[in-house]
Amino acid sequence: MATEVKLPRLGQGMESGTIVKWLKSEGDKVEKGEPLYELDTDKVTQEVEADASGVLLKIAVSEGEVEVGKTIAVIGEEGEKVAVEEEKPSRDGAAAQEAAQQPVRASGEAVRGNREVPPTQTDGRVKASPLARRIARERGIELSAVAGTGPEGRVVAEDVERAAASAAPAPLTAPSAPTEGVEIEQLSSMRKTIARRLTEAWQAPVFQLGVTVDMGRALEVRERLVEMHGDGVKPTISDLLTKVCAAALMRHREVNALYRGDAVELHPNANIGIAVAVPKGLVVPVIPGCERKSIAEIAAVRADVVERARAGKLQQADLEGGTFTISNLGMYGIERFIAVLNPPQAAILAVGSVEDKVVAVDGQPTVRPRLELTLTCDHRAVDGATGAQFLGDVKAFLEEPGLAL
Amino acid sequence: MPELSYREAVRDALSRAMREDEDVFIMGEDIAEMGGSMGVTQGMLDEFGPERVRNTPISEMALAGAAIGAAMQGMRPVAEIMYEDFLTLAAEQIVNQAAKHRYMSGGQVTVPVTFRTQGGAGWSPGAQHAQQLEAWFVHIPGLKVVFASTPADARGLLWSSIYDDNPVIFFEHRTLYGIKEEVPDELEPIPLGEARIHREGEDVTVIATGRLVHEALAAAQEAEQEGVSVEVVDPRTLQPLDEDTLISSVKKTNRCVVAHEAVTRMGFGAEVAAVIQYGAFDWLDAPIERVGAKFTPLPFAPVMEEFVVPHSGDVLQAIYRMVGRRNGN
Repeated sequence: MATEVKLPRLGQGMESGTIVKWLKSEGDKVEKGEPLYELDTDKVTQEVEADASGVLLKIAVSEGEVEVGKTIAVIGEEGEKVAVEEEKPSRDGAAAQEAAQQPVRASGEAVRGNREVPPTQTDGRVKASPLARRIARERGIELSAVAGTGPEGRVVAEDVERAAASAAPAPLTAPSAPTEGVEIEQLSSMRKTIARRLTEAWQAPVFQLGVTVDMGRALEVRERLVEMHGDGVKPTISDLLTKVCAAALMRHREVNALYRGDAVELHPNANIGIAVAVPKGLVVPVIPGCERKSIAEIAAVRADVVERARAGKLQQADLEGGTFTISNLGMYGIERFIAVLNPPQAAILAVGSVEDKVVAVDGQPTVRPRLELTLTCDHRAVDGATGAQFLGDVKAFLEEPGLAL
Repeated sequence: MPELSYREAVRDALSRAMREDEDVFIMGEDIAEMGGSMGVTQGMLDEFGPERVRNTPISEMALAGAAIGAAMQGMRPVAEIMYEDFLTLAAEQIVNQAAKHRYMSGGQVTVPVTFRTQGGAGWSPGAQHAQQLEAWFVHIPGLKVVFASTPADARGLLWSSIYDDNPVIFFEHRTLYGIKEEVPDELEPIPLGEARIHREGEDVTVIATGRLVHEALAAAQEAEQEGVSVEVVDPRTLQPLDEDTLISSVKKTNRCVVAHEAVTRMGFGAEVAAVIQYGAFDWLDAPIERVGAKFTPLPFAPVMEEFVVPHSGDVLQAIYRMVGRRNGN
């Protein structure tokens, strides 16, 4: 009995994924649990394991974007017949764009055109209402690129209208003929996610608060920790900052919050996301429960997720559950910057570089290591005074680490 | 404007026609002294006398044949078939005679007869006295078929039926006799073949007949609480059918439920669904839903009868299924 390999839902809200490559070829023997293919979701690229043993009889989708639940391959016994059709990938809605650029033709011709569209449903036919088909035909939307929300996944008029609205600007920006020397990079699903989420974040009413911290004591503590770290991971200033933020978040739960439209969720644990630059993008793996972890433990988790982030090996679970985010560009020599909110989180902290500055100490010019912190808050969840008290505590804990106990 | 019950509205149309026109008379089983099994013709014997309010023997074939013959001779008879289930006994006269003579005589003969009849579930009259058989007659070229759901419609449509030169089967629903509606002082004939939009809506059109018009209106009210806007349309005349009104309503709402008390299988709703899918194919955003009785003879047991025939809840379920709401299964 053959087993259909369907695209799994790896996390909440995952609607589709992009198959990067297959690690097995048709005809190869496959053991349950063996890595089968690489999948690029909107958050991570990861290897997906086979959920059955046998022979990989058929790869139905060799690469490209696929909806969750769709059959992408079949595992069965040697020589078994398979009914699944191979399909051309629909890459990142490029087909929809092409369709959108075509002038609307005589309706009869357009109908035939629609029927030739490579289907995305396993039964070889896109399920769509007549009205949805008509609207798609009139507006040049490719039905197979539209996710259906009607009964049994039927594409209904509303779905096509939504797709038409989002596809509308495409013809304006699509270059008619690329200029020489210009490289066109299609957006990866990660870049699309970044674009979508940050555009969403941009709509939030935000305000920023800034403080400058004297890092003298914090650097001493960090040196002590480095001396003590033994075989473990060498703690960084960022790890110390993560711990200190966790302590401050526990004292100001309103900041450790998610804005949900009609409610604000105040979370009991400081699950702190660390913005990590990766090739061609950015991910925010989460270190859960920082308020209960020692700095050494935080350092160990941080080192692990950062390494896996750079290697493209993060799992969906690594990216979920964050309640607050720290973005540190200090290592690039940036002294201060403003971070864009990471919704639905209510706040994000932007961390600059530690710089020696001349400051007045007891009326005397003195050189001190200084750090600038900028907190971006979603005003719908956090008010100015609340944010200020939180940031004041972060500053106090860095300047006098004992206070964080 | 006076308020009339459905029963009084039917009686009013008959009486007014008989007062104004000597060619109109009524006949049927127990319609004179008894006033008919549903009391529709009560009091008419006193006003019009036994020549024009004629009791007949218990033979539907005989009384139908007599009415058809009178019509062919120039009268405008209104014959009552006590239960529509008994139309089977008069089927030869209605289907093979009344429906055919105008055509077969090349228009030399007309048959302006009206057969009033009633039926439907609701009183537990059992399998032989509660059917809804309108679908049998809409299938016959040469007949017109009316199914009135309110007092005003019953009065205006019955008048038009009497004065139509073709045989008309006029269906009444037993459970509607008591409902009341304001009617104009002057009787305004309602042309055959015009649907009535009972309620305007944006999301779903329910095309309903007879008792189900009222069930659909109740469902529409409930759906409105859930934010679903329902249009309720009653074709009123099943043959000829006001296709334009039905199609344009569905073109507006993009979704269509057809509801009647008769069994769904091969029913009137199937024809309506076909008309809609052809006329509004490119406007449909969901498959057409049909609501009707389960495909079984009607049981005597009240609870079973309730179970077999559709109610507002069934219409509501169909509406929710279409718009993808909860409870829609």
